[in-house]
Amino acid sequence: MSAHTTTTPADVHGHVDTGHIHGHEHHHEASWLETYVFCQDHKTIAKQFLITGIFWGIVGGLLSVLFRMQLGWPNETFPFLETFLGKWAEGGKISNEFYLAMVTMHGTILVFFVLTGGLSGTFANLLIPYQVGARDMASGFINMLSYWFFFSASVVLFISFFVQTGPASGGWTAYPPLNGMRDVAINKGSGLGFDLWALAMTLFIVSSLTGGLNYVATILNLRTKGMSMMKLPLTVWAFLFTAVLGILSFPALLAGVALLEFDRLLGTSFYLNMIVVNGHLLDYRGGSPILFQHLFWFLGHPEVYIIILPAMGIVSEVLAVHSRKPIFGYRAMVISIMAIVIISFLVWAHHMFVTGLNPNLAAVFVLFTLLIAVPSAIKVFNWIGTVWKGSVRLNPPMLFAMGFVSMFISGGLTGLMLGNSPIDIQLHDTYFVVAHFHIVMGVAAFFGMFAGVYHWFPRFYGRFMNDTLGYIHFYVTLIGGYAIFFPMHFMTGLPRRYYTFANFETFNNFNFLTQFISIAAIVVFTAQLLFVVNFFYSIFKGRKVDVERTSEDGYTYGNPWDGATLEWTAPIERIHGNWPGEIPSVHRWPYDYSVNDKPYISQDTPLAPGEVEHK
Amino acid sequence: MSNTIVMNSGEDEYMRELKEKTEYTGVHPQKFGLWLAMASMTMFFAALTSALILKKGDFKSWENFKLPNIFFLSTAVIIGLSVSMHAALICYRKARFTAFRWLFFLGFMLGIVFLLAQWLGFRALASMGFPLTGNIAGQFVYLVALLHGLHIVVALLITGLVLIFAIRARKDPLFELRNIINPKRKLHMELLVTFWHYIDIVWIYLFVFLYLNYR
Repeated sequence: MSAHTTTTPADVHGHVDTGHIHGHEHHHEASWLETYVFCQDHKTIAKQFLITGIFWGIVGGLLSVLFRMQLGWPNETFPFLETFLGKWAEGGKISNEFYLAMVTMHGTILVFFVLTGGLSGTFANLLIPYQVGARDMASGFINMLSYWFFFSASVVLFISFFVQTGPASGGWTAYPPLNGMRDVAINKGSGLGFDLWALAMTLFIVSSLTGGLNYVATILNLRTKGMSMMKLPLTVWAFLFTAVLGILSFPALLAGVALLEFDRLLGTSFYLNMIVVNGHLLDYRGGSPILFQHLFWFLGHPEVYIIILPAMGIVSEVLAVHSRKPIFGYRAMVISIMAIVIISFLVWAHHMFVTGLNPNLAAVFVLFTLLIAVPSAIKVFNWIGTVWKGSVRLNPPMLFAMGFVSMFISGGLTGLMLGNSPIDIQLHDTYFVVAHFHIVMGVAAFFGMFAGVYHWFPRFYGRFMNDTLGYIHFYVTLIGGYAIFFPMHFMTGLPRRYYTFANFETFNNFNFLTQFISIAAIVVFTAQLLFVVNFFYSIFKGRKVDVERTSEDGYTYGNPWDGATLEWTAPIERIHGNWPGEIPSVHRWPYDYSVNDKPYISQDTPLAPGEVEHK
Repeated sequence: MSNTIVMNSGEDEYMRELKEKTEYTGVHPQKFGLWLAMASMTMFFAALTSALILKKGDFKSWENFKLPNIFFLSTAVIIGLSVSMHAALICYRKARFTAFRWLFFLGFMLGIVFLLAQWLGFRALASMGFPLTGNIAGQFVYLVALLHGLHIVVALLITGLVLIFAIRARKDPLFELRNIINPKRKLHMELLVTFWHYIDIVWIYLFVFLYLNYR
């Protein structure tokens, strides 16, 4: 027998792993690497997602500042840009190729890496185990893999900025035939840059799926005693359906990208047909670029709900806690989330009204698209009903949650217009569309995310973020967000993704608005840096959460917002396994605020004699 | 034999706590996670096959042909694979490790034979005048078979690792004891075999689908 198969009885004992629920029973000194890098604890993984998301937020935001500079002042030169961007900004003027690459990467980064990975990854990881009363995720190892797939995707995407032919530049939607061939003569970003984009997206999808499996398995299987589905906080409901959406729709994008890479690398022609380049007819026969659009938008549309549902969940929670009132219409909220998820699978072709789609078929997609307005409006009504006559605390998380509702209404209304195919055909690919989706799923989702960060920062770090900086951050972002995107509704006919409008006399009357938007974009970006400073400063120097009691074994407890959900029943110290003793069991719904003459009643408090449970 | 007693004393602690301390649903959470993964993979193959249907509707470019017979062989092989994997799992549960190792090895080899059969299928396709870059109808066969094969490769890698450990420790009674009393290992073995069954069924679905679409 070789040396490494020698086993002693002690070894056997050490390896009898019973898959313990009780993390604290496992007396094993974690190394630095296990604590901070390859960590399987959901709280650390949440922080890893958040900080990676913040990094990508800065990169994605910076790209938008750069291309807004080009749009606002197309005839100016900015010599300092050449210092940083080299050949992409020769003489201080951003090249048209790099402009397209920046627009593409801005979309990819913000849609996937910030508002999906950064948002869902952070809050689903932090809140699911805490709020359902579990020690950790169903599989800590798979959860760790999920982050490291996200990290590898990030590395690959970042590397693509530094390849000779530049990053992908054919739009975040990656439509063929533009992206279907590796021919850099057509489009520089179609070279190595796009292959790296596809690899990064594949890794990202794997990350998103492994994460999603864990979220659903944890929510359905690891709820603590008494936590029936209808006692779950709305955040958890939102994460559950977000994960279900991702599990069922991301594979379609993966299939779409797989076919694309078959065309690019192996010479098949799934998406390509009769392409003429420089007067030569290429060999591709029989493919259809529309096929890609079907596969892409089968994910692409649910993706906007993957982005907005977690924000909705966070906002529902934050509004209830800071209005000191039970959420209005809990059951309607849950049903609305379900309705949105189901309908979102039946609307994808509303992105394809101009592809020659059969108008009768388009009518079906119009119908379902407009139907989504119903559950969305129910949710808005309930949020307003929650705040109505509440004892509102206007602190930064609450302000951001209210900002979310405002943005969601403003952006949602233009969704009703665009959902109609006759109007969409007129407005397709104009700044009206840019305004719509940036307000409703860009700015709004960011507001939800900020509300979450300010609200659960004490849960993350045991400290508060600075309020003054938070107020400045909120007001600049709210006013600035509208200043950027509201004028875009009125830039009639202005096409998206153009490098410059200087050559079109007809668009000259928008010059002032274009510059105004660019200035607003720079101001808003600066305000986000303030948030980043506040975030990192507060980790070390923020005001500490008040300790309400100290247990016998030395753990301290505090409930900074007087919240009723389970995450505030865990000690301020973040320990593996979340609760030092028994897991709390649940006796009531999560929104008992201002009832029985108490400011709040925690979910783990048994019903008082004679008290009727909220149904 | 004392095996039965040892196995009972190794009753899954994790499951017991799950039943006592949570709203137990009757399923192991990790098993549930695998089911979700299978739902996700089903969507992946559904997307591929619906792409085929969409494309076939555009008959102008579709050149029909009969599926090479070699794919019948690969389908038979993959059914054999599922059977031997399942038999291996039964032996594992009953702590008959010698039989387990042989059946597991047989399953592993059938996986490799399956991949070879698929490759022969590709060669037959090419000799019929449908190379990878040929008519779009042929391209779809390569596409679904290759992407399915990728799943087989992943399963083979995991199976290979398990096999290496099992063969290395075949003369080590303590290792075998550990296998019997460790519920986590039993769970992982069950998950692996479930995954094998799943991708085998996917191939049978793909085969029937292709067979019906190409005649």
